[in-house]
Parts: sequence; structure tokens; C-alpha cells
Amino acid sequence: MPELVDSLLEPFRSGIGQRALLEVVLVAAIGGALGFWVLTFGLAYGAESLAHGLLPGLVAAALVGVPLLLGGLAGIAAAALLVGLAGRDERVGTDAATAVAVTGLLGLGGVLALAPDVPPRLGELLFGDPLAARAPDLVAAAGLVVLAGLALAALHRPLAAVAFDRDGARSLGLGAGRVTIALLGLLAATLAVAVQGLGNLLVLAVLVAPPVAVRRHASTPARAMLGGAVVAIAAGVVGLYASHHLEIATGASVALALCLAAALGAGFPVRGPRAPARGRLRRAPG
Amino acid sequence: MSALVEAGGLAAGYGGRPAVHGVTFAAEAGHTVAVLGPNGGGKTTLFRALVGDLVPLAGSVRVTGRPAYLAQTERTRLDFPVSALDVATMGALARSPWWLPARRADRRAAAEALERVGLEVETHARFGALSGGQRQRVLLARALVQEARVMILDEPFGGVDPASGERMDAILGELRGERRAIVVATHDVAAARTFDRVLCLNGRQVAFGEPGTTLSRAVLEATYGSEIVVLEEDGGPVRAVAVQHHEH
Amino acid sequence: MPSPLDLLTLPFMRTALVELALLAVAGGVLGVWIVLRRLAFFTHAVGSVAFPALVVSGPIGVSSQLAGLAAGLGYAAGVGSAGRTGRDASAATGLLLVASLALGVVLASDVVRAPAAVDLLLFGTLLGLDGADIASSAVAAALALAATLLVGRAWLAVAFDAAGARALRLPVQRLDAALLALVAAAAVAAVPAVGALLVTSLFIVPAAAARLITGSVGALFAASVGLAALQSLVGLYVAYAVDISPGPAIAVVGASLYACAALAGRSRGAAAQAPVTPVLDARGVAP
Repeated sequence: MPELVDSLLEPFRSGIGQRALLEVVLVAAIGGALGFWVLTFGLAYGAESLAHGLLPGLVAAALVGVPLLLGGLAGIAAAALLVGLAGRDERVGTDAATAVAVTGLLGLGGVLALAPDVPPRLGELLFGDPLAARAPDLVAAAGLVVLAGLALAALHRPLAAVAFDRDGARSLGLGAGRVTIALLGLLAATLAVAVQGLGNLLVLAVLVAPPVAVRRHASTPARAMLGGAVVAIAAGVVGLYASHHLEIATGASVALALCLAAALGAGFPVRGPRAPARGRLRRAPG
Repeated sequence: MSALVEAGGLAAGYGGRPAVHGVTFAAEAGHTVAVLGPNGGGKTTLFRALVGDLVPLAGSVRVTGRPAYLAQTERTRLDFPVSALDVATMGALARSPWWLPARRADRRAAAEALERVGLEVETHARFGALSGGQRQRVLLARALVQEARVMILDEPFGGVDPASGERMDAILGELRGERRAIVVATHDVAAARTFDRVLCLNGRQVAFGEPGTTLSRAVLEATYGSEIVVLEEDGGPVRAVAVQHHEH
Repeated sequence: MPSPLDLLTLPFMRTALVELALLAVAGGVLGVWIVLRRLAFFTHAVGSVAFPALVVSGPIGVSSQLAGLAAGLGYAAGVGSAGRTGRDASAATGLLLVASLALGVVLASDVVRAPAAVDLLLFGTLLGLDGADIASSAVAAALALAATLLVGRAWLAVAFDAAGARALRLPVQRLDAALLALVAAAAVAAVPAVGALLVTSLFIVPAAAARLITGSVGALFAASVGLAALQSLVGLYVAYAVDISPGPAIAVVGASLYACAALAGRSRGAAAQAPVTPVLDARGVAP
């Protein structure tokens, strides 16, 4: 029995392991909860685009020696701006225009990362490394959990009202535009903090996998958020264990665990009355 | 007696082009106003301008307080995890700070509203699992919780089962007595005669006034064009049926 | 500054030049369909799905072209049969993308123990292109041209109005499947040169830029291929001069061309008729 406990605690005996655990738990908690709204508001593609597009910001920060958090935020701002600009012409279509912006930014990140004589550790920027978490990263993650958590609690009713019925929410005094902007702000902050551990290519998993895993089993938004956080934390811990015992890349291991959780949760039979088939909008006459 | 809803020369539309113009009418407290018109004639556009969703392109609009709005189609998310009670409770957002959780008093008001629309059994049922008529009644309950003095209903009886329709009819009658202004878009010309006022739209305002004097054959034809079928005209009130298009 | 003539005199550069020229044709032609049918996310995902297959292909003794093709076609088949829409599909595609990249990195670093392969496969390579790569790109280019000539009008009809196309008794499902398969195969063929992350630099950016400066369908194809070729040439030279993988250079050049096209198209007035572009019939490949 003591050996079991020993082996359970083993990855987290070192300072590195403990910091990695804390980072993963904090990021998973906020990502898993926020993810429900990201999915509900249809922002998965947008989140993926922002995550991919922020690479130049990260690389520039690494080259200059500025904290990656600031680089991430700058990268997101640039990506949002360029995606918005690219999408202005209707002839191309928003998804193609977004792809142009994201591809250009990914390319720019690649150029910045591969050209210099002393290249930044591109692999860590792309795929993350929870084991490299230091105290400032943990402070940022903890700060995010507190602030974003408070914001989500305060915005809970408006988010639900707008997600459920945009027109009705308008008549209740809640503008869908303002609520969506608030959500995007939370998304940006979460992405900027989470890329430290998961890297910009994999960070989407912590936002999208947990709600996919729990959506068919949750009967209220609050339960979906709580369930998402729990699933994300559990998957994160499993990922850390797998990384330690199988000796594989940590960030990728956590990402794979999250994706596996999504596949299991989405495929698991639902107890109780089935959720209704996704109704098409009945098109209004006139 | 000042009106709860007032529009003067109102024009509204999308992308700078008006879908409806020249709308001038007033709804007093305790009045019901039936809005008649063909599909695409501007009823929904007018309602969105009244609710504040669209900025008027011309003219003015004034509504007392925040109106309750039941939009036309089922534009609600049927897969969103909420119960009927949750939806009805959303009405309280109009009266209390949005950043605080729902108060017990709000939830009680929501439960009472559900009871009033005849859904006490379905209080905790998933919204998406209810029938069309039941969902419409839940949205009506939300409007009741909102305690709005102005209620705007866009074809609330469309596609609703008779039992729900009757229930809603009864409630609208009660609401009238509560000194609210109720604006209802409908295709039912005969029912419109029972309202206090009618407003006829067809891309523009055709007429506004009491049904008895306003709903003449000329007005109906100007409103509906070829989509009207006149049943009889023998010196009494014109009986006509508007053709309804259903898209599948 | 290295001489541009090196592009022609150095053997590996000639190989790269030929490869990119062929990919410019494939990407320019197919890019038009990708933009019209809203397949941007799909194309990006194909590149990522091929990544882990390419990582393991060498060590397990399978040709990388076949491994990549199998992964790409498998994904295309999955998308074709899934038939989901909107939110669900974007979420699933995003997760599949992440899982593929994560799997690839784990395989490369810890199983196959070839961590250098990651950068090469994600961003492309100048030196590592061989005859097999050129052959697969040639096939992709040929198929792209042949398909456009043979079924282009049918694809256009489906793009304008899928329901109407069905009424005309066009085999919409098979046409869509063929398009998905062709895009997947061509995208996979592009991975060695431009990288799994940047396939869209040749397969979407030139076509999107062309869309901004021309309106007629014929001119669209010509402009798209022309821009792709220009982009590849300049990008290749920049990559060689700065000593980086070709993918990022081509991507940045492409995005710059798009920006120029946007400015040029604006001054001409945005009066070009845009064909109605419905999503690929509930296959869930658009956000």
C-alpha cells in the first residue's frame, strides 16, 4: 500500500513536478469552465485561429526576453486585428480570410523562430512545457483563475440569456454584442496564460475538449462548467502521470489526455432522457 | 393618457434600406393592437425597431420601459441545457442587476408565471423537450416575470396547438385588464377585429385605427394584395382570410 | 545576398523549384474550389492529420507518400460520412487537429526518437525533397487540372446551389467526395515542401488573393496559379537567402501578396459578383 501511495506521489515530489501540477490544475480549471461558453457561442474556430495566430508574439517575446504572457497577449491582439481586417471583403468568405491571416502569422512566427542564429526554443512555444513553469507563471495562472472565475460568475446570467435567445436577451436589456466581447476578452486572457503550459498549437484542447466531454451529460450550464473543470483537471493529472511514467513530452501528453476525455465523454451513452436532436431553425415566413 | 408605445414616421430596415416606412401609431395602456400584413411586409422589422434591436432609419419611436418580446420563429436554442423554470426566471434580468444570481423571489415569480400559463407540471422539464405550444407559453411566462408594461408578440399563435392557443388567448385577455399595452402580429383577420386597434403594414403603413372602421375591403386589399380571399361582403363587416405561406 | 541564379544551378534548389512549381499549380487550381466550397478548415486539418503518419512512416518502413495519403484520405472519408454541422464539427475538427499534432510530437520525440523531424515536417524542407515527392506533386497537379476540366462545371453548379444541382440529377455526394479526396491528396503532397502547418499557404492564400482581383471564373484560376507560382518563387529565394524552411517564407510572401491584392481590389471597387457559396452540404467542414 505504501508503495502505491509512493508511486502516486512520485511525479510530484520535486519542485518541478509540483509546479507543473499546480499549473495544469489551474489552467484546466478555468479552461474547462470557460470552454462551455466558448463551445456554446460557436467560438471554437475563432479560438483555434487566435491560438495559432499568436505565435509571432510568443517568438518575439522569447527573442527579446520579455515575459511570454505579454507576448501572448500582443500576439492575440495582432491576430484578432488581422483576422478582422482580412475578413472585411465579403467575396472571400470569413473562413478563408481567417485562414489567410492565420497562415501568414504562423509563417511569420516560423520565420522569426528559424532565422536567428540563436533560435528560441520553438518546440516549447508550439507544444508547451508544464515542467518549465516558474513562480511568475503560477502567479499569472492563479490570478487568471480568480479574476476570470469572478467574471464568469458575474456574467453567468447574461451569458445564458444571450446563448439561449439573442432577441429575447435584447429585450431584457442585454446586448449580445457586449456579452460576446466580454467572453472574447476572457478567452484571450485564458489563451495567453494557457499557452505557457500547452503551447499555442495544443492549447485549444483545454478549452474545447472538456465541454465536448460533458455536454451530453450536463443538465444546466453551471453543471457543464463544473463538470468541464473537473474533467479537465482529471485529464491534466492523467497526462502528467503518463508523461512521467512513459517518458513522453508533457504538454502533448496532457493534450492527448484531454482529447481522449472528449472522445470518451462524447461517445458514452447518456443516462436519462436523450437530448433532443439539434433542431434546425424553422425559417420564418417573411 | 399618454401612450406606452408611440411611433412617428418611423422607417426601419437593414443595410440602409427601409423594409417598412411611414409608421405612425400609438398604443395606450390597456390597449391591444393587432398588426396585420403579408409575410415580408415589415411586421418583424417594426417589432425589432420597437425593441431597440434596430436603429430607426427615419422618424421616431418611444416605448415606456423595457418591452417584453416574443420573437417570431423558434430562435431559441433547443439544445441549451435549461429548464422551463430557468427560462422563465430569465425575465427577472430586466428588473434586477445582471451580475447577481437569481433571487429566491425571482424564482418564485417564475414558478407562479408558469402556473399562470398552465405549465406547473412542466416547471422542471428541459425546455427543448417541450412541444412548440408549451415553449411559446414558457416564453410568455418569461415575459410575465419581466413585468413589462409593453408586450410585443410576433405571431405567437403560429403553429401552436389549440390548447396552448386558447390558454394564451385567455392570458392576453387578462393582461389587457392589467393596463399593459400589447402589440400582436397576426394573420388572423377575424381575430384582429376583437382587438382595440389594428395596424396594417405592407412595406409601409396602410392604415391604423379601430378595426370596425379601418378594416375595409380597400384597406385589406392594399395590405395583402393578392394574398387575401374575401369571403363575403354584404354591407356588413368584410370577412376575409389572409393566405399564409409556410416554408418547409 | 546569394545569387538568384543559384535556384537554377544548385541541384537541390532545382528539385525544390520543380516541386514548388507543381504544387503552385495544384494549390492554385484546387485553392479556387477550397475557397468557393468553404474548405479552409478542412485543408488545414488534413495537413495536421498527415503529420503523425509522416513521422512514423520512415521507421516502420512505409513510403511517406503512402502513409500521408492514407491519413489524408482516411480523414476525408470520415468528414464525408460524418454529416454534422456547425459548432459540433468545428469542435471535432479542432480536437482532431490538436490530437494529431500532439501524437506526432510524442512519436517523433519519444518513440521514433527523431525530434529534428518535427520542425521539418511542420515547416517544410529545402534539402530533403526527392523524386518521390516530385512524382506525387506532379500527380496532384495533373489530377487537379484534369478534374477541373472534367467536372469543374458540375462542381460550380453544386457550389452555386446544391439543391438545384440535385434537381439536375448531378451526383452531388460523389462529386463532393471526389473533391474532398483530391484536396486531401494534394495537401498531403505539399507537406514535405511547405510543412504540415502551412499547407494553406499555397492552397488558400493565392486563390483568396485572386478572388479579390478578378471576378470571372476563368481569370480566377489563372490568377490563382500565377500568384501561387510567384509566391513560391519569391518565397523559395527568401528561404534560401535567410537559411530557413521554405514554408514560413512562402506563407509570409503569400500573405503580403494578399494584402496587396486587398488594397488593389479596394481601389477597383468591390463590384465583382460573388457567387453564392453555400457550405459543403452539412459535411461540417466550415466553422
